[in-house]
Order: sequence, then C-alpha cells, then structure tokens
Amino acid sequence: MPSGRWLRLGALRSLTQLWPWLVLLLALVGVRLSKGAPVADLYALVSYPFWPGTAQREWLRSAQRLDDRVRLQQLETDNQRLRDLLELKQRNPERVAAPVIGRDAAGWWQTLRLGRGSLQGLRQGQAVLAPGGLIGRITAVTPATATVTLLTDPASRVGVWVDRVSAHGLLTGTGSGRPELRFVEKDPHVRAGDVVVTSPASTLVPPNLPVGVVQRVNESADPAPVAVVQLIAPVEAVDWVQVLVR
Amino acid sequence: MPLPRPPSPWIATGLLVPLLTMASPGWLKLAGVSPSWSVLWLLPWSLQTGPAEGALAGAALGLLLDGLLPGPVSPLPALVLLGWWWGRRGRRPPPIERSFNLGLVALLGTLAMDLSLMLQWALLQGPVALRAVPDPAQLPRAGWTLTDLSHAGLHVLLARALLTGLLAPVLCSLQLLFWRRRLPDGWRT
Repeated sequence: MPSGRWLRLGALRSLTQLWPWLVLLLALVGVRLSKGAPVADLYALVSYPFWPGTAQREWLRSAQRLDDRVRLQQLETDNQRLRDLLELKQRNPERVAAPVIGRDAAGWWQTLRLGRGSLQGLRQGQAVLAPGGLIGRITAVTPATATVTLLTDPASRVGVWVDRVSAHGLLTGTGSGRPELRFVEKDPHVRAGDVVVTSPASTLVPPNLPVGVVQRVNESADPAPVAVVQLIAPVEAVDWVQVLVR
Repeated sequence: MPLPRPPSPWIATGLLVPLLTMASPGWLKLAGVSPSWSVLWLLPWSLQTGPAEGALAGAALGLLLDGLLPGPVSPLPALVLLGWWWGRRGRRPPPIERSFNLGLVALLGTLAMDLSLMLQWALLQGPVALRAVPDPAQLPRAGWTLTDLSHAGLHVLLARALLTGLLAPVLCSLQLLFWRRRLPDGWRT
C-alpha cells in the first residue's frame, strides 16, 4: 500500500533528521540530572585565572573585628553554659578556605559559587562562614565547585537566637539584603542592636556562630514579633569564605 | 510544519549562557541584578533559525540552566515558548533587526520568563505566605513567598527586564549579523 509506505518512510526520514537534536537533549538531560556538574566544573576551569586574590582583605578587616568581638562575648557565655553541662560533647569542626568564583546575590537565586568541591571534602548542608559570621549553607556540590545558598535567599531558614534575652527565632531570607527574624514567643523583649547567633538547638548549623544585628523590631506583627536583621558579613564584598567540614 | 534541521555546531555557543550567568560580571549589573543572558542568546538564535529549532534550543538551554540553579522552579517552559515565538517572529516581513524592536522584544521576553518563575513560586508557596510563622513541616520547602515576590521580587523583575532591554539592541543585532553569515536561514527555505 502506497500510503503505508509513505508513512513508514516519513517516520524514518524524521528520525534520521531529528537524531542530532535527540542526542543533544539526552546529553543535556544527563547534565540536568547531575545538577549541572560538567558545566560548573568547566566554568571553574575557565575562570581560574580570575579567582579572587587577597586584595579585598583590608576592606573586610572591620567586619572581622566585629566578628571577633561578638565571638569573644559569645564564647564567654557559651563557656559558662558548658561548665554546667559537662557531659556535652565538644565539637571542633575543621575549616576549608574556598574562593568565591561567582555570585548571584541580588537575583532570583541568592547564591555564591565556590572554587572548592567534593574533592576537597565539601558536602551538602555544611555551614559557610565569612569574615563576620555565618552567611549560608552549601546546597549543591560538584567535584570542583560548590553552590552556597545565602541566608538572604527565601529558601533559607535557620534557627537562631538572641543571646541577651535567650529568645529563639527563625531567620528567614526575604530575597532582599536583610533577612527577617520571626520569634517564637509573644514577647521576646528584643531591641534594635541585639546580636543574633545561631541557635544552640539547631541541627542544621553549628551553634553560636554570629549571624547579624537586629535593626528594627515590629512588635505588632501577628502572631509573634518580627525583626529585620542586618548580616554582619558583607555578602557583596566577600571573596574568600570558610566552610565548616566535619 | 517543517521538521527541525540538525543543530549547527554553533549551538555550542549556548554554553556561554550558563558561564556568563555564573560569572555575572559586576560592571554589567543594574541595582545588583544581572541581565537575562538566556534571552540575549536565544533571541537572535531563534530569529535566524525558525520556530522549531528555536523551541529546541530553548529546551536545551532550559535543561542546562535548570541543572545549575537550586530550588524547585525552572526557566525551561518559558524558554521553549519564547524560542517558538521568536522563531515565528523572524518570518514576518518587516526586518526586526533594523530598529529598536529587538530591545522591546527582549524586554517582553525577560518579563515573560521572570513572570513565569514568579508564577511557579506563587503556586508552590501560596499557602505558606498566609501564615506569619511558617509551619515546621513546610520549612524544608524552598522558594519565595507572596510577600517577597511583591517586595523584592518586583525589584528583580524590573531591573532585569530594563537591563536586558537596554543591552539587546547592541548584543542581539551583532549576533544576528554573525548568525546570518553562518547559519542556515529558517524563514527563506
């Protein structure tokens, strides 16, 4: 039958004509399933000559000083608390320094890309520190790069607490530069200027890392007050970070 | 509908899009927001090659970007539709590259892509935004809430659309001239 032959011939012809597209799309599905690992590693290779040096260090020094002061204060109170709980296990996570090789800190995805990956021991979920405290957590790793979701990303939710009044809260990114701190209690007595650290009860990040400073508190928010927090670490300027590797 | 031709090796230039997205050069930013590189590449490509190849290139680009971006939303559907639309637009008689039409089309395309992302986030996160303190069961879910979308999201949307629209007349017409010499014509065959 001529019509049947035409049909078969047509199908064959379309297959021979379409196979390069099919191969391309299949290869890209592979890239998609590997979470873009080949492309990210290629980018790390290509951009290697432009990785940050140490020139911005001066700029970051003031943030570092504030970090040190807060950390000292924090360690003192923490030490006091630990004396009471001697059975609590001491954790000393190892740190890996990583250069920031790409950032999208004001777009739809508030991420940094680091020039260290699973080959250097980075894993998903590890906390990322900059001069000035916690800035985010690792959400994806490839052999040579890692993606950090910043605290300002709306996907980021970290348990924190205000040490002065021992008030627990949840730090939620809003997509803009300053994350929101939603308190659990009705009346936490938090003032502008209070230092926010990671919660001792948090399982996602190590306890007592400095995070930010409360800028203003909206007491009338329902059902519990909400505070706007300024991060201590300058996310736009940071060029080297430290990853807490366990 | 004519079948799509096999892709030209020049489609490998699409690899520049994720690389530029990751690098996001600081001097090409408006209010910290970088332009939509996928729109800037896809527009001249699909104008030159036609709707079928445009949509396939959009799908390829969407898969590539989707692998790199965290979160549950994807630019893939919008890119496929844009590739198709621009491929059809290239067949119309008035030559698009002679005017500032390119900027307007790129601006509309960026708006459409970002609105599709906002829509996906709103659909995923709608119920969560209504509660002041999120339900702990919803905490691992990623994405923008409705309030974020109406505050910071609008800023990102406008900055990206304006910047892409401004860059498109320059970058896209250069690419169109380049492709015209090297790619098979999608609308004269």
